[in-house]
Amino acid sequence: MNFELSEEQKMIQQSVERFVQDNYDLNTRISLSANDFGYSSDFWKSMAELGWLGLPFDESDGGFGGNQIDVLVIMEQFGKGLVLEPFLASVVMGGGALKKGASESLKNEILPGLIEGTKQLSFAYAEQQSRFDLEDVITSARKEGDGFILNGQKSMVQNAETADHIIVAARTSGGQIDEDGITLFLIDTNSEGLSMDNFPTVDGLRASEIILENVSVSEDRVIGNIDEGFEILQSVANDAILALSAEAVGAMEVLYKDTVEYTQQREQFDHPMSEFQVLQHRMVDMFMEYEQCKSMLYRATMESVQDPKAAQRTIHGLKHLIGKSGLFVGENAVQLHGGMGVTEELRVGHFFKRLLVIDSMFGNADHHLQKFTTY
Amino acid sequence: MDIELSSEDLAFTKEVRAFFEENEMAKGEDYFVWRNNWFAKAKEKGGWDVPKWPAKFGGPGWTPTQHYIWEQETAKANIPFDIPFGLGMLAPILMGYGNEEQQERFLPAIRERTVNWCQGYSESGAGSDLANLKTKAVLSEDGTYYTVNGSKMWTTLAHVADWIFCLTRTDDSGIKQKGITFLLFPMKQEGIEVKPIITLGGSHTVNTVHFTDVKVPVENRIGEEGKGWTYAKGLLEHERTGLAGLSKSLFELEKLKDQARTVTRGNGNLMDDSGYKAKIAELEIDLMATEYTELRSLASAAAGGKLGPESSILKLKGTEIKQRIQKLTVEASGIYSPAWGDKNIGLPFAKGGTAGYLNSRYFTIYGGASEVQKDVVAKKVLGLTKGSSK
Ligand SMILES: Cc1cc2nc3c(=O)[nH]c(=O)nc-3n(C[C@H](O)[C@H](O)[C@H](O)COP(=O)(O)OP(=O)(O)OC[C@H]3O[C@@H](n4cnc5c(N)ncnc54)[C@H](O)[C@@H]3O)c2cc1C
Repeated sequence: MNFELSEEQKMIQQSVERFVQDNYDLNTRISLSANDFGYSSDFWKSMAELGWLGLPFDESDGGFGGNQIDVLVIMEQFGKGLVLEPFLASVVMGGGALKKGASESLKNEILPGLIEGTKQLSFAYAEQQSRFDLEDVITSARKEGDGFILNGQKSMVQNAETADHIIVAARTSGGQIDEDGITLFLIDTNSEGLSMDNFPTVDGLRASEIILENVSVSEDRVIGNIDEGFEILQSVANDAILALSAEAVGAMEVLYKDTVEYTQQREQFDHPMSEFQVLQHRMVDMFMEYEQCKSMLYRATMESVQDPKAAQRTIHGLKHLIGKSGLFVGENAVQLHGGMGVTEELRVGHFFKRLLVIDSMFGNADHHLQKFTTY
Repeated sequence: MDIELSSEDLAFTKEVRAFFEENEMAKGEDYFVWRNNWFAKAKEKGGWDVPKWPAKFGGPGWTPTQHYIWEQETAKANIPFDIPFGLGMLAPILMGYGNEEQQERFLPAIRERTVNWCQGYSESGAGSDLANLKTKAVLSEDGTYYTVNGSKMWTTLAHVADWIFCLTRTDDSGIKQKGITFLLFPMKQEGIEVKPIITLGGSHTVNTVHFTDVKVPVENRIGEEGKGWTYAKGLLEHERTGLAGLSKSLFELEKLKDQARTVTRGNGNLMDDSGYKAKIAELEIDLMATEYTELRSLASAAAGGKLGPESSILKLKGTEIKQRIQKLTVEASGIYSPAWGDKNIGLPFAKGGTAGYLNSRYFTIYGGASEVQKDVVAKKVLGLTKGSSK
């Protein structure tokens, strides 16, 4: 057992930390979030140049042979600035799906551009009726000639707006909630019959509702085997949960530390508020939740690296804890900042909103608690 | 002890319902026309336009049970929206501490809803520790007017208010609670600058308000100079009991259940989900108990006694319940809770639910933050020694 990061990982950690410190103050983030892309394409380029976008990919695919631990290192630091660039959607989810299931020729076509920062991906899995159930897929893919015709709707898709390709989970056989019969397709965003409705999300990011109307896609764009896409989907979701949880842990660290600092500075009743015992204890609770989340994150990540299948239950536990504790820390950071906490002026509110969104992604605390009990 | 409503109370319930039905807004009717008519008709009923005002000032003089019935019925009905500052907060102060001339001058317009008021208490350095306020009011040498300088913060709806009731400091030589003076003055005048503060839900309701040499005639002072703290404290109690909002919560909880039933979950809906259902049930049980805590406190007040110790937990419990309802709404929205902006995405209640959740965070901050409220209960009710707030 060893919790030390490798020398390389430490270097990455430091460089991401510096990047966030230098570039991601609240006002920069707010103005980036409002621009055309919703993030900085310059930052995206820098991330590519620094090699971050290639980190989790195999060396044979032009990557650096990293794993979930490397992603954790990056995402935890990203969480301290609420980085807007689509690392999660494009690299972890989109790239992850290709890494896990795509043919060599598909990987050769897409991954180099992804790693260089010239191509972006998006991953569309949720649907209107599916809530948090990955296997609940109605969007259909009907075999026709040497390809498929897709029809249906996908919800809350991240990074669809600036992606070149979207990976879509569609049903090729079976019933609405069968794990078997789901297939993943790589679709160009400018395909005929694909339309999207883009909108902001409460955390300053963007999402899209996507409609597929007779979108045709050839069989060589299938990722993994036909009807067997669920396993990849689940595995991508697990990696995304690890990444999001790392981001959440970074965000929680900012929240508890900002709160400690604020209560030390602000005086009421002729004392620094940090002297009030109820507030001290509350901050200890926040700190404890943060530390517990971090431990669970390490546990789930290390187990995933060792044996992803065996880690499934721990991942459910992790996402449960992150959802619950994230909101606890967020709500209390706001509470202890008083009126200032509910303004857009201080960053605590923004971090709180991100944690709220993280709880809604890939299953909320309740969903994963229930999943956990089924093992 | 008896849970049955008397036949008079049952008749009253019917009468209230009938009134709401008769005066419902017609399709296409202008809101303000409807609103003015509504209040005029309510006034004709014998003070139903100002239910909480005492009979002496034109209120209906209801029994606690009648108030309770009214609360319950209004939570369910579509009635005109009221801003609490003039009607619920300033009016009791005017009745209790204002002179007759002031009562005649201000109460009618409050009752007619023609003048909007805002509450200028908090400042950047005076939040929970309200007595720390620094906005200065200096009496002119001839004793006819005050000159006000300083800044208020968090002033809700200051940008649309006609008048402000304001706590100012006229003396800083003694303890903080002394030397505070309660002034009323118009907002639309030179020397007053209002700047928005944008809150988490993205909306503009609160402001900072800056005063530069604002002149206020002494006739606009409530009571004596330096006694404003005593007057304001009475008012804060009013504010706090009004913040529990239990009838509204009962209504919101039912609405939430209906919304959850529209959320598909496998072959059923979210209300079939045991985890979600259990949370709703826990909330409902808490709400049922709190409802009776409120009734007990109303009853003891009606029996002429002081508000019992149970009343001190109403704001704490009531605001916590409101927050939990909002949180469960977000949970019901599921994947759609992040959707924001102008469009309605996914579920019709998702965006409103998320905004409601974010806004609900201030329920435990304003009108006495929960931690400070508990300090008060510890000291005043449990008799524990000195806490950290005074
Ligand atoms: C949306 C909104 C609307 C408002 N509208 C108005 C308005 O119209 N007019 C007006 O005058 N004011 C208004 N307020 C101000 C409100 O009354 C204050 O926010 C409130 O009094 C808390 O003060 P604060 O924000 O400075 O928090 P602080 O007093 O700084 O408190 C911060 C935290 O410290 C805790 N704390 C403080 N003292 C103690 C203690 N002794 N022991 C333990 N814990 C303590 C508090 O519980 C809180 O969690 C509004 C506020 C909000 C958020």
